[in-house]
Amino acid sequence: MDVIPSIDVLQGSAVRLMRGEFTLVTKYGTPEEVLDSLEVARGTRLHVVDLEASRSGRPVETEIVRRLARRDLRLQVGGGIRSLHDARTWLDCGAERLVIGTAAAESPDLLRQLLETFGPERIIPAIDVRDGAVRVAGWQREAAQPMPEILARMRELGPREILVTDINHDGVLRGPSFALYRTLRHWAAGCRIIASGGVSTAGDIVSLARLGNVSGCVIGKALLDGRLSLAEANARASTPNAIPERVIPCLDVRAGRVVKGVKFANIRDAGDPVEAATRYEAEGADELVVLDISATEEGRRTAVETVRRVAESIYIPLTVGGGVRGIDDFRALLRAGADRVAINSAAVADPGLIAACAREFGVQAVVLSCDASRDGEVVVRSGRQAAGIDAVAWCKQAEDLGAGEILLTALDRDGTQQGFDLGLLRAVSGAVRIGVIASGGAGRLEDFRDAVETGGARAMLAASLFHDRRLSIGAVKEFLTAEGIPVR
Amino acid sequence: MITLIDSPVANMASITRALRHVGTELEVTRDPGAIAAARTIVLPGVGSFAAAMAWLTSTSIDRALRDAVAAGASLLGICVGHQLLFDGSQEMGTTPGLGLLRGEVRPFDGPLPVPQIGWNRVAFAPTPLFDGIASGTPFYFVHSYAVANAADEIARADYGVPFTAAVRRGRVFGVQFHPEKSSEAGLRVLRNFVQWT
Repeated sequence: MDVIPSIDVLQGSAVRLMRGEFTLVTKYGTPEEVLDSLEVARGTRLHVVDLEASRSGRPVETEIVRRLARRDLRLQVGGGIRSLHDARTWLDCGAERLVIGTAAAESPDLLRQLLETFGPERIIPAIDVRDGAVRVAGWQREAAQPMPEILARMRELGPREILVTDINHDGVLRGPSFALYRTLRHWAAGCRIIASGGVSTAGDIVSLARLGNVSGCVIGKALLDGRLSLAEANARASTPNAIPERVIPCLDVRAGRVVKGVKFANIRDAGDPVEAATRYEAEGADELVVLDISATEEGRRTAVETVRRVAESIYIPLTVGGGVRGIDDFRALLRAGADRVAINSAAVADPGLIAACAREFGVQAVVLSCDASRDGEVVVRSGRQAAGIDAVAWCKQAEDLGAGEILLTALDRDGTQQGFDLGLLRAVSGAVRIGVIASGGAGRLEDFRDAVETGGARAMLAASLFHDRRLSIGAVKEFLTAEGIPVR
Repeated sequence: MITLIDSPVANMASITRALRHVGTELEVTRDPGAIAAARTIVLPGVGSFAAAMAWLTSTSIDRALRDAVAAGASLLGICVGHQLLFDGSQEMGTTPGLGLLRGEVRPFDGPLPVPQIGWNRVAFAPTPLFDGIASGTPFYFVHSYAVANAADEIARADYGVPFTAAVRRGRVFGVQFHPEKSSEAGLRVLRNFVQWT
């Protein structure tokens, strides 16, 4: 998959328009300055939009395209191309490919001529989609025909690629419209898709590549704002992405029994921990999390014993958390058989604990457990007390201190089965390089897919969903496999 | 019988339990005499290569292992135990290893976060250690260092950069992953090793 940086040009400058308004312009300098600051290498595929041309309907920034072509960039140029003559003008300036928007949706004859004249490699029909309908003329109006019809007609003309922008996802942090690109596997079968709009994290790039029908992704704002580096984006796009994502059942234990509550309250019994652990390994659990939810001294001693019993019954990694107050508790749990220990409130009270544990036991042993409120604030003491710090900032700090992974629980989703908090997940996974385990709210099969695809999670944790056998781990993994997300 | 090196830098409980599970008599020892005379040896290890090697040297277990292998013993190194089989590691300068296999342990320099913590697919051609396991089956890895392309490689994995996941030279085997944490597939590798010997 190609990573395609994008620049919009207006009056000689690389710019961004706010809400598509020509009166609300942010200038970023000359296109060359922008390319240098993004470290765009020779041979890079670059998306260039001539904004004035799209407004006036004739090529304007031809001099810029000529200059960029001399830099050995593989240019795809768009902006109001409405005739063979316009197309030839851009190609003569050194554009490798042309992006045809409004004309592609509304003038099939012109699109056919362009494809016949210049070849299917060089002409990229483009559609802008909002709420399932194609928008034309700078998003001003809806196209005369529905999207499936427009796509079917385009396909018949045989272009290699179609560029698809989801307007609702453009320039915002919701992530690309994976659902739309997935449906295009059917509606645009045989065509490769260039995805545009909402790409802002390294995880987005991996998820787009996994869809299988996406040959390129256009990235604008995230690169210009420095949220994502082109080097990182390229690395992720070319990295094999068959590394399995994990499904993790969680046992909340108290007094030697598995229990489960809703939003950390209304606790009820859910069985024997060893029995549950053994069953989960047999069903394909990739790891097990045991959380001690008792809050007393005696409860903690019992928990260490429970951890020992569970560790002795499974052959998959075991992460243990809950009530870890310091390095001695941490060590005791590792000795009881935990592979990794999650620290929560104690790390908020003393962030140095993360560094101390990482030094003593290795980065791989340290998991930061972060409970977050709906507003993205860290909450401690089993959801009872707001810590007054931002979850994203805290997770980033924990990574710097030496946490090996983050267990991120959306407090108001816990036990509700209403889906993971994808906004929270995206915010954290986009800010750190270590893995994020999504927790709180798993209910449907799609939730697991969305946590990886949109949320950027590397693992999904669920408790009551599996205890109550509403979904099996096997069913979740089958679904993820069918959706193109690799699992063990 | 299997002789398991009782290393202070390994999670002994897990590997002990896994080896018992695959049904062998087990001797857990740090006695160089017993190790030198052993027929089948497992060398576990986690954490730092330098610390693990320093311990082997200070206890003379390094020599005992070389003697045992020279006398025809079978040896399986796991994770850092696998890394110790090679010429050396670039962890904190250059630390020499046991030198039973050619190759050097180096830090990952790919695009993905280090350490690698998690499951990853292991690819191999049919070989006794992976008997009954499909190529591409995931195993559980925890490591920041690896041998890139060992001469005696029998399995490889890819973490942004390809690396050697398992080696075999004669009776000396090594696996970079943790078979004792890799569920059914991992136990099968241990069983295969035991049965092969």
